[in-house]
Amino acid sequence: MSLFSIWGQYFPSYLQGLGVTIELTVLSLALALVIGFVLALMRLSKVRGLVIVATVYTDVLRAIPVLVMLFIAYYSLGAIGIKLSGVEAAVLTLGAFYGALYGEVFRGGISGVDPGQREAAAALGLPPSSVMRKVVLPQAFLAILPPATNRFADIIKDTSLVVTISVADLMLQSYQAISATYRPMDMLGLAAIMYFVVYLLVSRVLARWELNVQRRRS
Amino acid sequence: MSKDVVVDIQGLTKSFGDRKIFRDVTLQVHQSEVVAIIGPSGVGKSTLIRCVNYLHPFDQGTIRLLGHELRGGERPSAAVLQDIRTHVGMVFQTFNLFHHLSVLDNIVLGPVEVKKVPRKQAVERAHELLEMMGLTDWAKAYPRRLSGGQQQRVAICRALAMDPKVMLFDEPTSMLDPELVGDVLEAIQRLAQQGMTMILVTHEMMFAKEVADTVVIMADNAIAEMGPAKQVLENPQTERARNFLARVLRNTPPADIPQAVVGGDPD
Ligand SMILES: Nc1ncnc2c1ncn2[C@@H]1O[C@H](COP(=O)(O)OP(=O)(O)OP(=O)(O)O)[C@@H](O)[C@H]1O
Ligand SMILES: [Mg+2]
Repeated sequence: MSLFSIWGQYFPSYLQGLGVTIELTVLSLALALVIGFVLALMRLSKVRGLVIVATVYTDVLRAIPVLVMLFIAYYSLGAIGIKLSGVEAAVLTLGAFYGALYGEVFRGGISGVDPGQREAAAALGLPPSSVMRKVVLPQAFLAILPPATNRFADIIKDTSLVVTISVADLMLQSYQAISATYRPMDMLGLAAIMYFVVYLLVSRVLARWELNVQRRRS
Repeated sequence: MSKDVVVDIQGLTKSFGDRKIFRDVTLQVHQSEVVAIIGPSGVGKSTLIRCVNYLHPFDQGTIRLLGHELRGGERPSAAVLQDIRTHVGMVFQTFNLFHHLSVLDNIVLGPVEVKKVPRKQAVERAHELLEMMGLTDWAKAYPRRLSGGQQQRVAICRALAMDPKVMLFDEPTSMLDPELVGDVLEAIQRLAQQGMTMILVTHEMMFAKEVADTVVIMADNAIAEMGPAKQVLENPQTERARNFLARVLRNTPPADIPQAVVGGDPD
């Protein structure tokens, strides 16, 4: 069978897998953004306890391989009565890990904003939450977007780890196609192309967004 | 406190960590009075006016304004802080316009977010202020496109949009190219003539003499001398005030002599 007809044959199941991959990515990203934002606020706060908790969390999560965490979430938590589905375990793991990374990205972006901007907003009487929302975050945005985009691309790739806990993502679909066809190069090639296309689309859209914001402000 | 005292600073003492910045500063600012604060770099002039709107906490003393009392070592409630900051306008040395907002939105942000003024009304007022400052055409521009002098005038509009009872200026012209200083000083002078109460940190001696009612000279971590502008600047009574003025006047050419003559340019 030619390469393209075999790709055509498996394309529907790959698309299904891609759907799961995208679902995992989006949910993990959402969780990671929330955790990252909270961590950044904790580390930038003046409350020592919060700073310590956030710092320890960040260091620990970054030190443990994602695969180890995934197994802990899927198998070990199950052993102590917390049964998670494969998707839940994956989202929890990736969200927790990338949350630590996003925490650093946000913290860097927020603390990079000129303190004079914050002061000017405070001097107008804006309460701290508005200072953050109306002045600091919009200004941190341009510094945050490029590293945040890179992390996002990493999440897409790391979702492939769920193949180890039998979640039917793009990676698992290609494994199954390989065992049916015995053509690992071809079938992994199709998966690689699909990962690449998704990455390309996402990074293009985000880069365009960045450019638009930059243009608007100059 | 007499009725027309707007800002009453009593025995203010401030340190950053172990470093004493100033001690026992007492100063009253009356309705429509213009107080100029001068003194050597690092003496704590900026720090002093930043205590007035509590951008800095202080250690001892009190500041009474707008019916509130700020006390050293005590953090005011969020409501008091907001009320004070709403009614005290501040203009910074480095302008500090919000880079991500247009000129118009810089001016509208405070009234809409803090005073809950309807946006339409805030926009109208912003246009009036811009017109007053000769900036009508710049409403839609982003701050980085403007010259320093224009940015500073927008910053003044931003502060005025809150209808402040008191304005604080922290060396508003020291970051400007000499040819842009005039417009900003003119704007400040106009405000003074309209009866705005203000505290102005400046190194423009001629301007202080012309516009300020009261001049405060800070030296060696305290107020060295204060009084009517002309008297303090022309006939200072204290040694420390004399020393400071002698030093500045040696370094600043009198305003009415052209630069070229003073600089002794061979051409
Ligand atoms: N946030 C801060 N933390 C620690 N030290 C500070 C802080 N702000 C100012 N200082 C120090 O306090 C002293 C007084 O500073 P301030 O800015 O009030 O002086 P200034 O009289 O306004 O000087 P200049 O004419 O240079 O503006 C300086 O030595 C400065 O280094
Ligand atoms: Mg200063």
